[in-house]
Amino acid sequence: MKERFLKKDDFKKFADALADIYRVYHIRKGRDENLHLLRYSGEVKDAVIGGVRPFEPLKNFFFYAREKVVDGYKDSEEVGEGEDKAFCILGVKNCDLAGLNISDYVFTQGDFKDPFYIRNRERNLIIAADCSKAIDTCFCHAVGNQHYPEKNYDILMSELSAGYLIEAATEKGERVLGRHAELFDAAQRKHSEERDRIRKHAGEEVEKNIKANEIPPYTDYKDIIKENIESEIWQREADACVECGSCNVVCPTCHCFYLVDASRDGDKEVRYKVWDSCMYKRFARVAGGVNPRRHIRERLRNRFEKKFDFFPQVCEYYACTGCGRCFSGCPGKIDIRKILKDLVREKKAKAKT
Amino acid sequence: MQKNPYCPIKAKITDIIEETPAIKTFVLRPEKAIPFKTGEFMELTVSGLGEAPFTPSSNPRIEDTMELTIMDVGRVTSRLHKMKKGDVLGVRGPYGKGYPLKDFEGKEVLIVGGGVGLAPLRSLILDLLNDIDRYKKVLIKYGARSPKDIVYKNQVKEWQKNKKLSLELTVDKGDKGWKGNVGLITTLLKKNMGVDIKNSVTIVCGPPVMMKFTTFKLIESGYSDADIYLSMEKNMSCGIGKCGHCRIGPYYSCQDGPVFTYDKIKGYHTIWE
Ligand SMILES: Cc1cc2nc3c(=O)[nH]c(=O)nc-3n(C[C@H](O)[C@H](O)[C@H](O)COP(=O)(O)OP(=O)(O)OC[C@H]3O[C@@H](n4cnc5c(N)ncnc54)[C@H](O)[C@@H]3O)c2cc1C
Ligand code: FES
Repeated sequence: MKERFLKKDDFKKFADALADIYRVYHIRKGRDENLHLLRYSGEVKDAVIGGVRPFEPLKNFFFYAREKVVDGYKDSEEVGEGEDKAFCILGVKNCDLAGLNISDYVFTQGDFKDPFYIRNRERNLIIAADCSKAIDTCFCHAVGNQHYPEKNYDILMSELSAGYLIEAATEKGERVLGRHAELFDAAQRKHSEERDRIRKHAGEEVEKNIKANEIPPYTDYKDIIKENIESEIWQREADACVECGSCNVVCPTCHCFYLVDASRDGDKEVRYKVWDSCMYKRFARVAGGVNPRRHIRERLRNRFEKKFDFFPQVCEYYACTGCGRCFSGCPGKIDIRKILKDLVREKKAKAKT
Repeated sequence: MQKNPYCPIKAKITDIIEETPAIKTFVLRPEKAIPFKTGEFMELTVSGLGEAPFTPSSNPRIEDTMELTIMDVGRVTSRLHKMKKGDVLGVRGPYGKGYPLKDFEGKEVLIVGGGVGLAPLRSLILDLLNDIDRYKKVLIKYGARSPKDIVYKNQVKEWQKNKKLSLELTVDKGDKGWKGNVGLITTLLKKNMGVDIKNSVTIVCGPPVMMKFTTFKLIESGYSDADIYLSMEKNMSCGIGKCGHCRIGPYYSCQDGPVFTYDKIKGYHTIWE
């Protein structure tokens, strides 16, 4: 679709126009120096459009940490606690967009669909952006993703020195841009050339990370779990795990939840869908205390198996997008890059013997 | 199908049958009929407390009511056991894949149950009896811990008299009145148990350890992996392939199971736990 150019000075007008229709969230540097996804307050001074992914994963906007899904025995999708206004999330990076490949598969495919997720996917507007750099935890290329948006967004906004190169990717995005035609100039060749230069530079930074950490490419991941079921790696890494579940919380592809019933007044039935963590001991426990994943090493292995074995078998994706959040947030510093490296190395060593 | 897949339908308890000290059968009448195929399961809701999965134990031809046979083992099931006739529960379902009865036609069907594992198998047996002439033979082997732990006592007696069925019981530990076989269920699975194994399928349901040793014994007796149907009990929450709890290898037990043939799952680790 048509490429447009928005001047830096007009960004506030654009954000205000979006805020008339949507609850706008954008990326901003927090007091902790991390980038966060925060509600737009009318202030654009410290907004970050380029940069890298924020601390929080995107999934919260589609699959809430806790959402009411049943209120009484009324068969309706209208019980969700969805905001009355849809969200517009500004500055979404490709590692989060790639996470939608997994959650879209989980919640919108199969014999049963999740009406709550589907509603949010249809209502919310995603304005994606290129990464203008990498931080040392970025490794998206290793898992087969780019550092600029590939799909799953409505509008792409690439930050340039003087403004933003803007392009709609969906009808919905085009409608939004069309309503504010007066804000945009026609994009010029030099704009797309500048975008390409920034992309190239950011891409080189990602590559540097991958090299420095010796992260194997996704083309080497086939059977890395199957060939390492009994590997020492699991216990070694599990030793550092405190079972906090933060790796699950920050992961853009982790989708597990459990249903929790809350009300106790009579036959009033209130049910919440709440994020769950496969690193918790009770996750797989069945009646009578039988537990196929009693030890942390089994739960850690299960987590990798789900990401690198299950998902590529049931849909075409590895459920890791290279965002680097899981080890950034891990109190035990369990590093998925190192685990991938060791799994691939041990698999190859085994193949030789 | 419900618009909201997480929302149960109200169901009244119209009767409760005490099977054993720890097992009761609940007869439910849902506000809207919930037809099911034998082997498919339901999520039962105790309002305000939570859900647990159970496979109906009744004849699927009866559509306005369903029976569930439930052992008291924990949080939800102990509350269920305190409920009375007239109380209201929630039911969602049916979920999963039922037993592929078509594949059993013309064959000798060997049913092996342990403990409360006879619940889904009773539904299967009743469904086989609906069209019993389609199957060459139906044999049932059932094991309970002790004579008082045998479920469906009256029905078991009826089945023993039924010429179309062959039923054998065993208990781990007998009592004064017990004249039958004493020993684990595997002692009933002898090489020469009157089954033409090459033209037979076998359906197993029971506690995890029982399933494991029964499967090994059946293989030893000559069954091929693809003819052994196992009910896999995995932790479940949603029942609809979304929550991620019930995975076995590339499958979700709630969608692709809960019944699997052994050849499908034998390559995956920790299937018996
Ligand atoms: C497909 C299928 C069919 C089944 N059919 C039958 C049947 O016909 N008859 C029968 O008797 N049994 C059947 N079972 C087993 C039955 O589902 C379990 O016995 C039942 O779930 C036990 O629930 P409970 O809450 O009483 O037990 P508990 O041991 O208390 O809990 C069982 C599960 O709930 C979780 N849990 C416990 N407390 C909490 C909490 N506070 N918050 C969140 N989660 C919690 C546990 O982690 C565990 O996974 C079947 C199971 C499956 C999977
Ligand atoms: S029970 Fe939720 S995925 Fe199977």
